Amino acid sequence: MHELSWLPEPQADFNEKCSQLGDGSLSIGSLRALVNSKLSLNQSNRLFREINKLPPGELEKIKSEFSLFKLGLVSNSTVDLFIPSFFTSALRHGIFIEVITADFGQIIQEALDSDSLINQSGIDAVLLALDYRAFPFAANSVAMAAPGQGSADALEYLRTIRDGFHKNSGTVCILQTLVAPPFSLLGNMDAQLDGTLRKEIAEFNAGLILDTKASSDLLLDVGTMANMVGVYEWFDERQWYMSRVPMANKFIALYADHVSRLLAAMRGKSKKCLVLDLDNTLWGGVIGDDGLDGIRIGQGHPIGESFLAIQQYAKELNNLGVILAVCSKNEEEIALQAFKEHPDMLLKDSDFAVFVANWEDKASNIRFIAETLNIGLDSLVFVDDNPAEREIVRTIIPEVTVPELPKDASLIPRTLSAAGFFEMISFTADDAQRSKQYEENAQRRVEFHKAGGVDEYLKSLDMKITFSPFDTLGRKRITQLINKTNQFNLTTKRYTEKEVEAFELSPEHITIQVRLTDRFGDNGMISVMICLQEEDVITIDTWLMSCRVIKRRVEEAICDKLLDEAKDRKARYIRGIFRPTEKNKLVKEHYKALGFTEVESTSEYDVWELDIEQYTSKKPPIEVLGQ
Amino acid sequence: MNTDTADILKKLESIFLDTFTDTGYEFSTETTREDVDEWDSLNHIRLLTAIESEFDFQFDLDEIEDISTVATIADIVSNKLS
Repeated sequence: MHELSWLPEPQADFNEKCSQLGDGSLSIGSLRALVNSKLSLNQSNRLFREINKLPPGELEKIKSEFSLFKLGLVSNSTVDLFIPSFFTSALRHGIFIEVITADFGQIIQEALDSDSLINQSGIDAVLLALDYRAFPFAANSVAMAAPGQGSADALEYLRTIRDGFHKNSGTVCILQTLVAPPFSLLGNMDAQLDGTLRKEIAEFNAGLILDTKASSDLLLDVGTMANMVGVYEWFDERQWYMSRVPMANKFIALYADHVSRLLAAMRGKSKKCLVLDLDNTLWGGVIGDDGLDGIRIGQGHPIGESFLAIQQYAKELNNLGVILAVCSKNEEEIALQAFKEHPDMLLKDSDFAVFVANWEDKASNIRFIAETLNIGLDSLVFVDDNPAEREIVRTIIPEVTVPELPKDASLIPRTLSAAGFFEMISFTADDAQRSKQYEENAQRRVEFHKAGGVDEYLKSLDMKITFSPFDTLGRKRITQLINKTNQFNLTTKRYTEKEVEAFELSPEHITIQVRLTDRFGDNGMISVMICLQEEDVITIDTWLMSCRVIKRRVEEAICDKLLDEAKDRKARYIRGIFRPTEKNKLVKEHYKALGFTEVESTSEYDVWELDIEQYTSKKPPIEVLGQ
Repeated sequence: MNTDTADILKKLESIFLDTFTDTGYEFSTETTREDVDEWDSLNHIRLLTAIESEFDFQFDLDEIEDISTVATIADIVSNKLS
């Protein structure tokens, strides 16, 4: 978690991007993308310095894209190391932060003196970054402790500081719960013994939470943050002794992100809507291929239960006012059926304010969702198990938050919740109603408007395709695909392994198996084609493709390949057949899109034809290997 | 110089480049804290944190006290790794 596991790795060209920033040639979108990653301390520092070196005009341009926030900071520790991470994580949350720090240890003075630096700076909030070592009970001997005094004195001390800032700055204080260090004196007795760190800190935290709730101040729950990562890891005594840094350096970015979430919530910049993919995100499997009884969701199966936990998390958020939407590559009818008819589905189609299931690119669909709900793109979180979809959305719409997800679905709820997208600084009954209002206003299942930029992205995917005729090695997988694929399947003809072998050996047949890699890895065999040549006509008997690679112009590369093959075989016409089924509406217009002409249409099948001499190669941005 | 040391130095050089943007010094085993203007106490912490995270170990307190040249760092890293 200290690694901010929901954020992608920093971009490989981070340093060049920083230099571009210095030249003023980096776009705001690229800046957003840059800070939306796991930056190291050094990288945050680099970015922080580059931005602060900018000439005033350039700086103003950047500031105008973010919400400005002036944060006062008092602490009993060294804060210099925090500032760059505060800065970059604030940008990540849409905030341009200016931090006003008091001199080391000057806490009471800063609060009580109306002329102090912080009180004179017109701050929007002050963070009291105090760890347990700021309070007297940490230094006092347990043997001398009086009952109930340690934590009570500490809370009183804190009240003095808060009152000072309230009075002199008229500002909100952000108060931290304390982390109990991994240390004990008399073991289990510590929790009961007056004056021990364990007891005093537990009492302090309980008191602080009540105090905060009764005031307009805000709570930064550092105690819980540290418990989540483990206090053995959280504390690094070396850092404290050397430089008075209160936690291990590797947690500074996490701490800064938590602070920024709170500031973002103050500015109304918390996320509002969770946009969810369906296949392998809300259930295991692919509904279009596996069918209603083939997907995994619900009790009694470990994978089904792990997806159920994701639905529970989404449902609970929805009950608390977070809007839910669906963005999935699927037939809408089939996707909706899953919610309406599957008995173990916890989420119902009525839980979603917008339901978009189609075959268009997800970036455009997400824009559409934001427009329909009439909320900013920066209030959307898009959750998808497919790394390529995540990357395309990040690239095209940097404003949308797209968390990295663990491969194992059972780890998804903790990853999403650790990211803290839905931070709230207060909670009322109205908040819980909010998602319902959006739902009523939004018009569900509406048509879709396409936006550009996809080809750019496809190029960046670095796709490499391999074609080969059927062979012994591929036979099992080919047979499997032929019998399993329902959606991108033009004729849905099923063949046994023996029959596949027969095609493989037949000189009249053209067989093609297609493999695709991209920069996210090997997609394996993604398409299969079987054609029969009769004199100068080649008929496509079978053409199917995995839904994972749809809308990537892969079918165009395959068509180009078939045309080359056809020319070698001195053919003149290609004939394509579409046989409609319940599940393959997706490819109804497939041959039309490739430039074929319809020559026959019945209720059983459509026949399309292409004159080879009329064909212009599509040349999609995919490199063909082995040629 | 064996290959392990060469590899360590290569990684250290890249960490130095990340930590100190001012390149007005020559990186070598001879480089000392005095040679690098930006090597102040704050950047010292950043430097050590980056090294710890790259090589996945922790410096002992007494080692940190000794560190003032690239050669010492390389020695400590190579001891920790072996």
